[in-house]
Amino acid sequence: MSEAEFHQKMASLKELYRGQLPGKLDELDVLWRKLRDAGGKAGEWADFVRGIHSLGGSGAVFGFTALSAFSRALELFLQPIADHPDTLTDALRYEIDDRLAELRRFADGAEPEQALPAATPAPPAPETVERRIFVVESDEALMADIVQQLGYYGYQVERFGAVAGMMGALRGQSPMAVLLDLDCVGAQGALEAWRQMDNPPPLLLFSYRSDLDARLAAARGGARAYFAKPVEFNALIDALDNLAADLSAEPYNVLIVEDTASLGEYYASVLQNAGMATQLVTDPLRIMEGLADFNPELILMDMYMPGCSGTELAAVIRQLESYVSVPIVFLSSETDVNRQLEALGQGGDDFLTKPIRPEHLVSSVRIRADRYRILRHFMVRDSLTGLLNHTRTKERLDIELARAERLKSPLSFAMIDIDHFKQVNDVHGHPTGDRVIRSLSRLLVQRLRKTDIVGRYGGEEFAVVLPDTPIHQAERVLNEVRESFSKILQPAEGKGFSCTFSCGIAAYPAHATAAELNNAADEALYAAKGAGRNRVVRSGAA
Amino acid sequence: MAESLKRILYVEDEPDIREVAKLALEALGGFSVEMCASGEESLEKALAFAPQFILLDVMMPGMDGPTTLRRLRQLPQLASVPVAFMTAKVQPGEVAQYLELGAVDVIPKPFDPMTLAATVNGIWESKVPGAAKA
Repeated sequence: MSEAEFHQKMASLKELYRGQLPGKLDELDVLWRKLRDAGGKAGEWADFVRGIHSLGGSGAVFGFTALSAFSRALELFLQPIADHPDTLTDALRYEIDDRLAELRRFADGAEPEQALPAATPAPPAPETVERRIFVVESDEALMADIVQQLGYYGYQVERFGAVAGMMGALRGQSPMAVLLDLDCVGAQGALEAWRQMDNPPPLLLFSYRSDLDARLAAARGGARAYFAKPVEFNALIDALDNLAADLSAEPYNVLIVEDTASLGEYYASVLQNAGMATQLVTDPLRIMEGLADFNPELILMDMYMPGCSGTELAAVIRQLESYVSVPIVFLSSETDVNRQLEALGQGGDDFLTKPIRPEHLVSSVRIRADRYRILRHFMVRDSLTGLLNHTRTKERLDIELARAERLKSPLSFAMIDIDHFKQVNDVHGHPTGDRVIRSLSRLLVQRLRKTDIVGRYGGEEFAVVLPDTPIHQAERVLNEVRESFSKILQPAEGKGFSCTFSCGIAAYPAHATAAELNNAADEALYAAKGAGRNRVVRSGAA
Repeated sequence: MAESLKRILYVEDEPDIREVAKLALEALGGFSVEMCASGEESLEKALAFAPQFILLDVMMPGMDGPTTLRRLRQLPQLASVPVAFMTAKVQPGEVAQYLELGAVDVIPKPFDPMTLAATVNGIWESKVPGAAKA
């Protein structure tokens, strides 16, 4: 037999199997109805469980992976009940009803293979050169200004005197954004081209015109932002920073609570393929560990689990202050609206009905996690810098400290204060002072690792938590940041000026509590100021 | 004397899986396969078929895999024919337990129809003394 013939035969066996599925489920339903109403003898339970077991095995052999996973889950769920039929309660009866209905939905025309994501991860997005901006500007003086101003904030500018040159360069590389002067010759042609492109880089426009017609044309061309000349650089930098933040956005953290490992892994792989980070908790009683370590932005939870139900668990999570607003989404085959509402009353946010199509799961999760992230941003971030605020920074220090204790790893804590900041405000005005604060916050975020925590403690004071970092390493890194900061030319009316900062560092385990770390770092900062500013001082080294 | 694997006795209660396994082993492995739907049936057919290798599903109604193995072993002609179990629940402890019963290996279910024949050949060559490569 040739391989082609083999595949053909396999395909027809599979078709045959698909056709027999409804009949198999009918048989299981008959068995279940007897057990459900009459309690049933051990032998009948064994038949029922074996029937489900067979479905799990045969489903997998024929490539009906989802059907197989749900059957396996049901088998595991049924086994303890089959061993002790007297433990069958009404709640369990409903659950089994639901799960059988679930299997039925797979058998009745659903295409279970397609319900599983491809094993290969989603193709990576085309690589974007971070912080590289294409600027099209024929006015050389304005171009020089743009290059200088964007340069202060770490953006590299590629200059183009004409539209055609920029369009040519786009073929070879993808900048973070394109900044186009609409008053240049050929700019309208570029707008037209943007409309035709798949996935063009974000387009930001500026022009002497500020009328609605011009803005409408820009919006139709897909422009992300529109600035009237003279260009307000603060607004331009903000727009670029927002784009940069979109690009470097971390994946959503989704905690999956599902007692059946195979199902949980299935949901995890669906979400991972959509670029999310997942953690699976199969023992609901161990959810507290997942919460603290993983910092979920959404919790996806099975309704029915051994030990405690999803609704009970949601109620417990809601009692914890830090998790009062994290979205909790139940996954269940529950279709009774009253019971769904009851579950939501306990603290759940939504109900997804199993079996759920992967794309629906992904979009439901993404929409809620995104909204949570935005809300959370306003709740925990400082509005000027986007850094963590004082309270939140302290919370994170507590969390990181607990982790350091558990992992027996070092941790450094630094306090940073801009030198002579009052003078900056007095001489150059508050808007310039704010810009200095933002330039330091940007520099810290750029130079430190993603795992480091940068907070604005208040005024011109910053705090940095560096997990898994001994004090001498923290000192070296912060000295690098200090030197870079002192070289930044802060723009101001007339001519620019430079600023410096002082920094004090303390570390765990030399200082064991958050309060001790705070005090020691503060003292070291005070020592740095006393020793002439513009320096980093280690606690105890003064 | 070295011999290559030809005749396989396969005991499996699930008709769908029997179909796929027969196809996979015959078409892709070139084996001659005798299918049995139960342990009882295998006891009736085994002597006449004289298998070189036996594949046994673990979880079957009536006579399960381990019981079937014990009963087959009581037949002198089959006392030394290598047997592999096929089971969905493969945990290290369980594998050891099946090996103690006298199986040469455990094949996890669900198996991939494309590779089942190769898996069986691999077991034959590596675990069975005097086996020859097919």
